[in-house]
Amino acid sequence: MGGASVFWIGVVVVGLCVGSLFTFKSKTDPTLWRTCTILTLMCCYLMWGLTYLAQLHPIIVPKRDDLRVEF
Amino acid sequence: MSSRGWGQQRPRTKTTSIFRSEVMSLVQLYIPSDVARYTVSQLGEMGLIQFRDLNQDVSAFQRSFVNDVRRFDEIERKLRYLQSKIAESDVDLYDFLDDEFVTAARGPRDIDEMEERISAHEGRVLRLTAAYKEMQLKHVELIENKHVLEEVSSLFTEISGRQPSTPGPAARRGSAAGPLDSVPLLGRSDTVSSRRSIGSMDAARGELMLDAEIGAVAAGRDINVGFITGVIARDRISTLERVLWRSLRGNMFLNYVDIEEPIGDPRQEEPVYKSAFIVFAHGETLRDRATKIAESLGATLYHVDASAEQRQEELIDTMSRLDDLHQILENNRVARINELTAVSEQINTWFTVVRKEKAIYHVLNLFNYDANRNSLIAEGWCATNDIPAIQSALHLATEDAGSNVPTVLQELRTTKEPPTFVRTNRFTEGFQNIVDAYGVPKAGEVNPGLFTVITFPFLFALMFGDLGHGFLMTLCAALLCYFEKRLAWMAKDESLRMFYSGRYIVLLMGIFSMFTGFLYNDIFSRAMAVFASGWRWPDDAGGEGVVVEATKLAHTYPIGIDPAWHHASNSLLFTNSYKMKMSIVLGVIHMTLGICLQVPNALHFKKRINILHVFVPQIIFLFSIFGYLVFAIILKWSTDWYARDASGELTHISPPSLLNMLIYMFLRPGSVDESERMFRGQAALQTLLLLVALACVPWMLLVKPLILRKEHNKIVSEGYGRISSHVRVSTEADGMAGAVIVAEQEEMQADDFDFAEIMINQTIHTIEFCLNSISNTASYLRLWALSLAHAQLSEVLWSMIFLPTLKMSGSFQPVAIMFGFAVWFILTFGILIGMEGLSAFLHALRLHWVEFNNKFYDGTGVKFEPFSFRAVLDEAEEQA
Repeated sequence: MGGASVFWIGVVVVGLCVGSLFTFKSKTDPTLWRTCTILTLMCCYLMWGLTYLAQLHPIIVPKRDDLRVEF
Repeated sequence: MSSRGWGQQRPRTKTTSIFRSEVMSLVQLYIPSDVARYTVSQLGEMGLIQFRDLNQDVSAFQRSFVNDVRRFDEIERKLRYLQSKIAESDVDLYDFLDDEFVTAARGPRDIDEMEERISAHEGRVLRLTAAYKEMQLKHVELIENKHVLEEVSSLFTEISGRQPSTPGPAARRGSAAGPLDSVPLLGRSDTVSSRRSIGSMDAARGELMLDAEIGAVAAGRDINVGFITGVIARDRISTLERVLWRSLRGNMFLNYVDIEEPIGDPRQEEPVYKSAFIVFAHGETLRDRATKIAESLGATLYHVDASAEQRQEELIDTMSRLDDLHQILENNRVARINELTAVSEQINTWFTVVRKEKAIYHVLNLFNYDANRNSLIAEGWCATNDIPAIQSALHLATEDAGSNVPTVLQELRTTKEPPTFVRTNRFTEGFQNIVDAYGVPKAGEVNPGLFTVITFPFLFALMFGDLGHGFLMTLCAALLCYFEKRLAWMAKDESLRMFYSGRYIVLLMGIFSMFTGFLYNDIFSRAMAVFASGWRWPDDAGGEGVVVEATKLAHTYPIGIDPAWHHASNSLLFTNSYKMKMSIVLGVIHMTLGICLQVPNALHFKKRINILHVFVPQIIFLFSIFGYLVFAIILKWSTDWYARDASGELTHISPPSLLNMLIYMFLRPGSVDESERMFRGQAALQTLLLLVALACVPWMLLVKPLILRKEHNKIVSEGYGRISSHVRVSTEADGMAGAVIVAEQEEMQADDFDFAEIMINQTIHTIEFCLNSISNTASYLRLWALSLAHAQLSEVLWSMIFLPTLKMSGSFQPVAIMFGFAVWFILTFGILIGMEGLSAFLHALRLHWVEFNNKFYDGTGVKFEPFSFRAVLDEAEEQA
């Protein structure tokens, strides 16, 4: 997996969003459920994507000073 | 016969959404007088119409149904009286509600019958209570008399006991005073002399005077030394003593005995401790004066005969009367309790019915009579979708009344601003409340409530991200939602109402917190290694104080933050940079959504100008500065700054500082430091973006007002003046002969074109937008700050409270662990979930109210408040 996966998963998420437009046919406020689905998908995707990208090419490396040498 | 078919039938929208408020209709009802009560009752049960006041110029006292309202006020007063009596007398109140009577149609006869019964009950309770009070007074009198009779004997004895050697009628009488006199008084005489403080006299003089007095009493039975006896509150006795001493100039002798048991006086709230006293005084005049003084001080005087035999007889008589009175009082009490028990079974039902009936007449007072006074005309707002339901209710009401004249419903065409009715369910209600607290949407305006349902819990979760805390929160909310029927009482409790009405908000907040917690890789501040870490710690290096660096592996941690960062000494460096950038990116996207919502608004209100000259420049302005920043953040993240080309040379110089980049974009347009350069053509692009942003400012500021002015001038030059600001509400009154058009003329919103005002508004709006786009973006940094605070606090709680107990040794470690866990858990719940949750909630609220809503939302609507019995009863209950 690389940076491109963020893009491809984004495409999948957008596809799911479009799909959700045709999924909810309930009589009680389908707009609400569509919007909720799309917003949830987008929010979760954005947060995951940003987290993933932030670690893709790290500028600093983790350091510890409390490690014990393994004998 | 159905009343459908009159009026103009608009096409009904089948489904509704909280995206916009309901389409409203102004309807007019022609209700035959004899059906009116039933109709309003049916509509009140449904709660679908908000009636307009058609008699605004008529004062509240001159309306048609004032007498009925008064009548029910009076019945309600009687019920309240009965209720207070029930509360006083420990009778259980029944929650029983006679559904049949409360919800079904009640005829006037049922109401009359109910009123009669209530009045009869009230009358009986009043009579019984009055009689009880009277008898209680009598009772107190008798008791006091009894005490006086008992105590006075002892006072007489005391006097004779002090001068045993003095021969005289008093002593003789004393010795003949019967069994009471044989009570040994030695002990008492001590106490009597110690509390005998007459006025401010010194003791010696008092003694002297007393002796003289007693001498007079003893010797001068014939020279008219009389006495008065009575009862007075114990704390008044010294006052009485002093006043008497002064006003009679010492020509008196007062003695008193405390009555042991308190006396329950119905005129006073609590039982009072009293004393019986006797005053000897010389002569009729002095005695009269003493009587007056004693009475003015609140004493009750009782006549006591001087002879002991007489007193004894009186005492026996009083005792027997007391016994009789006890019996009567008891009978009265039983009768009253029976009466009140009968009432308590019905009082809930009666209260409900009376409140409903009163509400009906209040509503009828809003209606107008037609010319012949055969029917009432009502006007009100209702959702267009609800008109069929209303019509079937009207039909039912006609049947209830046994009438065959139908009520007619007619839709009016109007230009008036309708009230806003957002049809919520129990899930969306809480979110809509958040929006309504900021402002009720205008009719037709985009309702931010729809988006708040997800964005609010998500922004909250960004600040609250912890899998463990999120789980506990979800658990609590899920319990609330699962048992919501059984926990409905919480809605009535002042402090718990907030949690109960927001249970679905909390549920979503908890679920999203679990997600963000998973991505932050935090569970009660611990890390989870769900996937293989993208870093490897060296096996051969380390030791106390030696800094070791991890080496990057080929793959990246797939979901969330790598657990390797968790105990790294520089983990804050990484998470701060990550969370700050994420806050900015999500903030810009959130604001973009807000700006984009102007488009559906503009389309709905048919204001194309708002899209072209408000929305477009705004979005360009935001994107050319902060959109570029977001682009730079993503670009910086996806560039490998330490990549080397084929020859082993670094392809990039060094990672640039984005903050400096943004600052120098304004300060030194057109030049980018070589070491800070991210891509080719960066300087040119930045200059272009800056120019575009600058160009957007006059566009936002000037274009819209100028276009409006041009259009206005065009209209004026074509010879059309201002349209009259009075627009008559018209009805499609075809075939409705004699129908009165009640809708009064409503003044329209002033149409005046004032260029200066528009210009000023536009200037404010533009400046606000440009400055806000900077401050609002910065404001989203609170997502980072709160999340940092939350993570650090939970880390501190863990490592300071629970962790030390795990590292302990010794036999009491298990106890310490239990104790440490308890403290840690309580603090986690109280501080991290309770207080931190509240603060994250408030910050999420602010981000929605300020940063999101001010991009598109007016919130100047008026809430739709239909006439419904449920609201009336709730209000009455709250007042009670």
